Amino acid sequence: MMLARVADSLYWIGRYVERAEHLSRLASVMLNATLDRTDAGTQAAQLARAAIGDPEPAGDHNPFEAARDLVFDRERSDSVVVSLSRARENARQVRDQITTETWERLNLLFLRATGPQAEHAFNSNAPDFLQEIIADLHLFKGAADATMSHGEGYRFMLTGVHLERAQLISRLLGVCFSGAQGQGIDDHLALVSILRMACALEPYLRVYTADLHARNILEFLLFDEEFPRSIRYATARLDEHLTHLSTGREIGRGDPSRLAGRLNARLCYTDVEDVEAGGASAILNSVELDCTGIHQAMFETFVAYPLEMRLPA
Amino acid sequence: MRRPDDYPVGLAYDEMFAASGDTRPNYQLLHNRIQTLEAAELADRQQTLERSFLLQGITFTVYGAGDSGTERIIPTDLFPRIIPAAEWAKIEKGLIQRLKALNVFLADIYGEQKIISDGIVPRDLILGAPSYRRQMQHLYVPHNAYVNVCGSDLIRGENGDFFVLEDNLRVPSGVSYMLANREAARRTFPGTFFQAGVKPVERYPDLLLATLKSMAGDFRPNPQVVVLTPGVYNSAYYEHAYLARLMGVPLVEGRDLAVHDDLVYMRTTAGLRRVDVIYRRVDDDFIDPLAFRRDSSLGVAGLFNAYRAGKVVICNAPGTGVADDKAVYAYVPAIIKYYLDEDEILPNVKTFLCRNPSELSHVLANLDKLVVKAVGASGGYGMLVGPHASAAERAEFAQALKADPDNYIAQPTIQLSTAPCLVDGHIEPRHVDLRPFILSGDKVVVTPGALTRVALKRGSLVVNSSQGGGSKDTWVLSDDAPRTGRSEEEAAP
Repeated sequence: MMLARVADSLYWIGRYVERAEHLSRLASVMLNATLDRTDAGTQAAQLARAAIGDPEPAGDHNPFEAARDLVFDRERSDSVVVSLSRARENARQVRDQITTETWERLNLLFLRATGPQAEHAFNSNAPDFLQEIIADLHLFKGAADATMSHGEGYRFMLTGVHLERAQLISRLLGVCFSGAQGQGIDDHLALVSILRMACALEPYLRVYTADLHARNILEFLLFDEEFPRSIRYATARLDEHLTHLSTGREIGRGDPSRLAGRLNARLCYTDVEDVEAGGASAILNSVELDCTGIHQAMFETFVAYPLEMRLPA
Repeated sequence: MRRPDDYPVGLAYDEMFAASGDTRPNYQLLHNRIQTLEAAELADRQQTLERSFLLQGITFTVYGAGDSGTERIIPTDLFPRIIPAAEWAKIEKGLIQRLKALNVFLADIYGEQKIISDGIVPRDLILGAPSYRRQMQHLYVPHNAYVNVCGSDLIRGENGDFFVLEDNLRVPSGVSYMLANREAARRTFPGTFFQAGVKPVERYPDLLLATLKSMAGDFRPNPQVVVLTPGVYNSAYYEHAYLARLMGVPLVEGRDLAVHDDLVYMRTTAGLRRVDVIYRRVDDDFIDPLAFRRDSSLGVAGLFNAYRAGKVVICNAPGTGVADDKAVYAYVPAIIKYYLDEDEILPNVKTFLCRNPSELSHVLANLDKLVVKAVGASGGYGMLVGPHASAAERAEFAQALKADPDNYIAQPTIQLSTAPCLVDGHIEPRHVDLRPFILSGDKVVVTPGALTRVALKRGSLVVNSSQGGGSKDTWVLSDDAPRTGRSEEEAAP
């Protein structure tokens, strides 16, 4: 039993920290790829910029500035500092529900990323700066895992993490494998960059070896059961957490756990061959749509329900 | 040990050094310890202290230009303020006496009003006060505990005696700073802390919970307690979240609550759950738009009716402000005498009520020596410190006084006692006050510690955090003979 507003905030903390981590990683990969003055390097940088939603990836917008905007631009609703600020704002509102260890990790990260020294640190060594943010976000998740009770509140937070992750990865795969740029990516450096954007390079190598193919990457990031950033993994967690959260409750047709179960089943029983035949965009779109549906259903079921329906007996 | 030559001596009573220049016995250990530390070490510890407050998020938000507020910590001083056991014993007795009398007073005011009929307190002063809530008339309050949490402001005058300056009976804050300062001081001076033998303050949250539960004990066996906060933008939000966390109860906002058939519920993920006791950190005016201010969105509609119906307890009770009104303050010694037939243990500061023509003329003639306060205001606003004000400011206040004398009181300017503080690397005296916290439910408990507020500007007598004040930890010694044992060097935290 927890306050509806608190559950909602915990869910959003999960979403915002996941978003901050993903975008920091995209910025970092993009900066790295632009160091290579080859066509492949340019292609990789363009992919990254398309993945962050840069409207003119081929334009003459300086990639360093693009990365800096991605981190610091307060006008951008998904920039890293905006996500961190919102995560922390939500954490402040549920300060009584998260442990001190967890709170201090997030607060420290927020203070560092928004402090007066932050832009200077980025300008003088952007890769280091981004790497530290990512490492701090891992520490935050680790502190939450190690110190918070793994009950309802924790599950709401993880639901946010995995829902956001499924959406972000499907968007990344969409940019890489279903749009115009995706046709025939076979360059080694470009493929490595895609894997790096999903933090998947080393785990991928252990499964498929250094033999890089677009088809294998798609298979790995869509269907791998063990890699925590594959869509299949994320939907399995969504299914698991939402099943727990819905257990013992009277929930009608809009039950979010049913939607999550259905999405997870679809990923369980689809193969990469089906995807190759029909094109990746169909399944990626349905992942995005289903995630939006789960998000809505959660809000209506746990947070904004009509009062007269839920009076205690 | 003696006072160093560069420590200025003023008119005020100094907490560390006697007038002769000798270190007072209660400060002996701390003074010895400070002597062994270099200026750089002190500055280092001060920095660590401030950083730890920032990290914990013990901040308040300052809103300026632009939409994003900056967060600041309330400046915190390194050196604890130390109160001898014997002095504390008297303070404790005095506070208990005072709160008991004020609770009975409130029960009487909202009951038969005998004290008014007997002519002890003027009728119009009470019934005309904006903080008087007629809605509270004839309403049952368990244990007569109208004020469950009280944070009185005490000051020490030039001769070393403590006075009560204000009774804060509405929604007093600052207790989280008392607890956070203590945690910091235990790390800053571990050995001295151990040797001095300091009474613990750490039980405050569970004593608060027990107090709140005792308010519903006669109608609900295991009451659900919540803390009601105005929200994250309130300057004391940190404290609300802190107390909720340490008591292990939900921190709710008005929008989390709903009232149905005079029962109060909170919205949980599993539907509505009944709430029995609300420790509200929202002012009377805002708790229920149906009963009080209609434009408030911080409270919950129907709450007051549920309270009247006895289905929920609001702590502190609405309407307690009538007893900490600055004009009613002048009558507190008489109130104690009337109900308890005792003399007050902690005296009041001499107070002139401008509503009485003879006192008004005295005030007007002595504006340069007095502190004038608006009756309804708090937080250091609406106040004139005569000796520090310009002639123009005094003239302006004189006009205001003549126009609306009922709204003002005046008190002699008291040189609050000073305590040593670290200011820009130097140890200098700064004026301090003392805010202890008293809980009252089925019994009255004083936590042996307090928030010591510090006026950080040299010479300033205003300690409010909204006016540039800071704070420091307050040690109440368990006995006045220092223990011996581990020295600071070998002491582990």
